[in-house]
Amino acid sequence: MTMKQLPRRIFLKQIAASSGALAVAAPGIASAADATPAAPAQPGLVGYQSFGPDEAAFVETLVNIMCPADSLTPNGVDCGLATYMDRQLAGDFGRGDRLYRSGPWHRGKPQLGYQLPLTPEQFFKTGVAAAKAACTTKLGKGFDELSEAEANAFLTDVAGGKYDDPRVPLAEWFNELVYPLFTQACFADPLYGGNRGKAFWKLIGYPGLPAFHTKNIVEFRGKPFPGAADPKSIQDFS
Amino acid sequence: MATKLPKKTVVFVGGGLTTGLAARQLTAKGIEVLVLERGGDHRGAPENRLPSQRDELRWGIHNKLVQDWAVETYSLRHSRKDPSLPVRRMEAFLPGQGMGGAADHWNGQTWRWSEYDPTLRTRLETRYGKKAIPADMPIQDWGVTYAETEPYHDLFEKLFGISGKAGNIKGVIQPGGNPFEAPRANEYPQPPLEMTEAGVIFAAAAEKLGYKPFPMAAGNSPNAYTNPDGMKLAPCQYCGHCERFICEANAKSSPQVLLYPMLLQRKGFELRLYSHVLGLNYDRKARRVTGVRYLDLQTAEEYEQPADVVVVAAFPMTSTRLLLQARIGEPYDPATGKGVVGKNFCYQVMSHTPAFYKDRWLNPFMASGSSQTVIDEFNGDNFDHKGLGFFGGGYIYANVTNGRPIASRLVPPGTPRWGTKWKQANADWYAHSFQYSVHGSNYPHRENYLDLDPTYRDAYGQPLLRMTYNFRDNDFKMSEYATKKAHEIALASGATLVSPPQPRRGDFDARQYQTTHVTGGTIMGADPKTSVVSPHLQHWDAQNLFVVGASAYPHNSGYNPTGPLSALALRLGDDLVSYTQRERKL
Repeated sequence: MTMKQLPRRIFLKQIAASSGALAVAAPGIASAADATPAAPAQPGLVGYQSFGPDEAAFVETLVNIMCPADSLTPNGVDCGLATYMDRQLAGDFGRGDRLYRSGPWHRGKPQLGYQLPLTPEQFFKTGVAAAKAACTTKLGKGFDELSEAEANAFLTDVAGGKYDDPRVPLAEWFNELVYPLFTQACFADPLYGGNRGKAFWKLIGYPGLPAFHTKNIVEFRGKPFPGAADPKSIQDFS
Repeated sequence: MATKLPKKTVVFVGGGLTTGLAARQLTAKGIEVLVLERGGDHRGAPENRLPSQRDELRWGIHNKLVQDWAVETYSLRHSRKDPSLPVRRMEAFLPGQGMGGAADHWNGQTWRWSEYDPTLRTRLETRYGKKAIPADMPIQDWGVTYAETEPYHDLFEKLFGISGKAGNIKGVIQPGGNPFEAPRANEYPQPPLEMTEAGVIFAAAAEKLGYKPFPMAAGNSPNAYTNPDGMKLAPCQYCGHCERFICEANAKSSPQVLLYPMLLQRKGFELRLYSHVLGLNYDRKARRVTGVRYLDLQTAEEYEQPADVVVVAAFPMTSTRLLLQARIGEPYDPATGKGVVGKNFCYQVMSHTPAFYKDRWLNPFMASGSSQTVIDEFNGDNFDHKGLGFFGGGYIYANVTNGRPIASRLVPPGTPRWGTKWKQANADWYAHSFQYSVHGSNYPHRENYLDLDPTYRDAYGQPLLRMTYNFRDNDFKMSEYATKKAHEIALASGATLVSPPQPRRGDFDARQYQTTHVTGGTIMGADPKTSVVSPHLQHWDAQNLFVVGASAYPHNSGYNPTGPLSALALRLGDDLVSYTQRERKL
């Protein structure tokens, strides 16, 4: 028995044990073993689909600043955070899936949300270029040449609107696009390339799947839950 | 051109909760029903299977079960003076698509509203005087009383296996329940869900302050349950994947579990999926609808579907848009206050106070969508508003429905947004924090309304619905008051750290989820001058047209909307049985 098979067997056993579910949940349960999600991303997914070398260098620096290697997790690149962003931008999300993209186009109050004709992938890239340019122009060196403290201060200023220019709203770019991608990269299922090795789930103690807590909610109410130390992801059941 | 199909007796627009309930009553009496639903069937799809059901990114962040905004969205402006723009990716509320509608991806929180809600204007005028309600707050009575709907609440709770603890059975206050509850004939069909640790903390603090905490009533089944139709629920797994998700265990009370599988077996019931309704056909002279037009998304063919009776039972936004497009009823004009369609559009006013407990294990990932502990002292008109300068309120609760890690993490105020300190704060507090939240009312305002956008169109070439909407002084004052009460409970709870209260402030923000509870647009009432439909949900200007759902609510209370709209849908089903036998003004 391989390690990959083991959790699935446990998983199916747990499904069977969750009383009642079997009796009435035939469509969802009977063939759970056949569940075939999109081809699972392998740990250590290599290469970029969207980023060119310069963009990749910027994003890798960015995620290593936002997630430095420390006693808590490996650095952002090793956690797959740059890979996650790349795959999201190259895929449905980056192309504007579920985004209304008919004109006419006008900027509006922030509460009306994103109003640019650019796809999220294009907006991301214009932001990277603008941030790199702002860094060089205003600070006199490239983003990857800044000290950790300088880079953190620069990102804080970007987020605070200090480097907005008339053509690229860098605060919006950072706060509404980069930052959500960053937190998703940390905490989404590793299926998507980030949160490699479930580093962030282990960090906070999120046990992941299968989340059959009918008995746990009583047994572990107010107590640490042992499963939080060894989270399971979609890949473990695929 | 559209192909004309054979006539049906009752045609429903939208295959969601209210349609399922009304169709249950109709088909039980052998009356022919056709449902046109724009989406598909979730059963057996990845959203309904493991392990893919547990994918927070796919369903919880990318909202893949929700209306596709690329196809149809809404435009927004905060005031009539502003230009409107399309909300290109709506986050504020989440309409569903597919058989079962939004009630497949709901949390399950189930309330009967207060006994006075259907007569709110009368209540407030009686208690505070004829002039107390501001002129720009067009609250109105519904033309139906709670007592008339009680048997239908009772039936709905049995059909959906609702779990909870009664607070008021036939006027007798019950220990452990909500003492402010409207009187009910019976106890809940199922006992309360297991309490979370957050609920334990909340209940102790609330009791210390003299409040009466009780378990939220839930459409999440604590046990195996069989309803009066023989439809079954399995026990809840407390997996924390309810709202935005479809329960693969069939433990969440949903139309796709409890209603449609049964209806599909019934003679005379037909569900046409992937059928997008384009319009209502209205005979202005006869003051009747003759049927609906729809596009079959599987063939790109357009059809005309004649009907004896049409029931518009879509999400409130769509129901309102269909009436405006067909020009049935006078559109509301905020300049004059005249007209009715689009009037009294309301949303929800949520607010929070995060609290942190170093030595308590909250384990937020063990929860259902409704395993919450709550107090009702500061909701609606459950407290004296004399001198407060606002009306309404909200329930206050230990707000733990899930621990999904992308969206459900709290860190103390002042924590950096990234870096080692950010990571450390997440590690320290993820399992040790929760929010004291206020689920606040949103009473109507003269300037909050819906109409058709003059510029933007959907993928079918039809105008988007336009929201002219913002929070108003009443909302801010209510939120300030109720959030302070929530904060006081948090302070009494022995927390390591309590964040400052975060009452609702600023403009309505389409980027931020609060609830999916949008209401109004086709409001009910006893006076045709101020309502779109009668107290029986019959359109004043088209006798054989009915509109059901939260769009009929003249105000949005501090309670979740599912209870009364379900009761009204069951009542409508019975009304339509009678109407199809003898057409008349009900």
